[in-house]
Amino acid sequence: MLSRPITAYQSVKTWGDGLRNQWGGDPLAEEPEKVQALEAFCEFVGEEPDAIIGHCFRIRKADGARVLSTKWRAHYADKIKAFRAQHATDGPRRAAAVLGFLIHNGILIQA
Amino acid sequence: MEYQELIGSRRSIRYFEPDKPVEQEKIQKILEACLISSCAVNAHWLKAVVVKRADVSPEDLEMMKNPVQALVIALAPVHIYFYCDLGVVNEVKGARLKELVDAGALNPTHGWSHKFVDELVYPQILKPLTESPAYPIASAFDCGVAANQGLLMAFELGLGACLTAFNAEVVARYTKPPASWIPLYVLNVGYSAESREAGGQRPRPPFEGQYFLGQYGKPFPRDPKVIEELKRSKLLQTPAPLPNRKQEIRELARRLNLPE
Repeated sequence: MLSRPITAYQSVKTWGDGLRNQWGGDPLAEEPEKVQALEAFCEFVGEEPDAIIGHCFRIRKADGARVLSTKWRAHYADKIKAFRAQHATDGPRRAAAVLGFLIHNGILIQA
Repeated sequence: MEYQELIGSRRSIRYFEPDKPVEQEKIQKILEACLISSCAVNAHWLKAVVVKRADVSPEDLEMMKNPVQALVIALAPVHIYFYCDLGVVNEVKGARLKELVDAGALNPTHGWSHKFVDELVYPQILKPLTESPAYPIASAFDCGVAANQGLLMAFELGLGACLTAFNAEVVARYTKPPASWIPLYVLNVGYSAESREAGGQRPRPPFEGQYFLGQYGKPFPRDPKVIEELKRSKLLQTPAPLPNRKQEIRELARRLNLPE
């Protein structure tokens, strides 16, 4: 479904940079299951990583500021819950990887 | 634990053992510690409602979350919701001050008597105070003093705790506070999943910018000998981050299935 390798997306690069800064090493390379989880989530929602991040922000009409979209955050929170429920054993870890991808792109979603 | 070490060891704990219940008697001890706190005019504005997370529906717990405390309330088995009861002064009308007179805490040596309370303190000072815009601020200050005693007691009992804001509207469905209570904070309580050091003593602003001697702008002198003494008593501890902190958080994230 993705139009290029997942690590080529800017939002995935941002995620990798965030993980390296936070934990050291190269977590995305060392733990490929994180990237695999994101890839599976992208397939699950039928969207590319940058599109997911893009949806979570909107431009506020009043002042032109870029703000988080409550509607889209709620949408993805529901999707992540469903994604987690798909796999009884490793669902929570896979969902946590997706949440980490969002957090390192500036989007906090509680799911 | 010795008092200075207790103060020095307190941390805002954000990782709890989610399924380890807190003993009822420990919760009571936290509340008892709140109750005996110092409080202006013996009013005791602080009110608390204890809610066990297991009694909250998953849907409501979801709605209680806000961006800064969501995980804390999701992990803490006990939530102590603190409120400030603004109605209390006009309900008791000086009666609690007169209890202090009878108990020998407020005495004629300092001008106190039942008549003084009935004819001057309540009608001329306290009642007008309740109509002042400053009243909620003064009341909330005293609530903070009381809540902090409960917070420290939690650590004395081997628990972890963290004060956070809460979604008052949703929580009110459970706590059903009277109209005169204003929501303050929630004390999240449970057994800490973090190490005792919890990464070390957290950063604080420079002492000299916070406290002054005689007047603003003249920093209270910070004696290095006192600092050394406080290090020995463990009020001052190794500053965060301790070398193993990131590893500790990573392990917690994996054990609790949290994002990294």
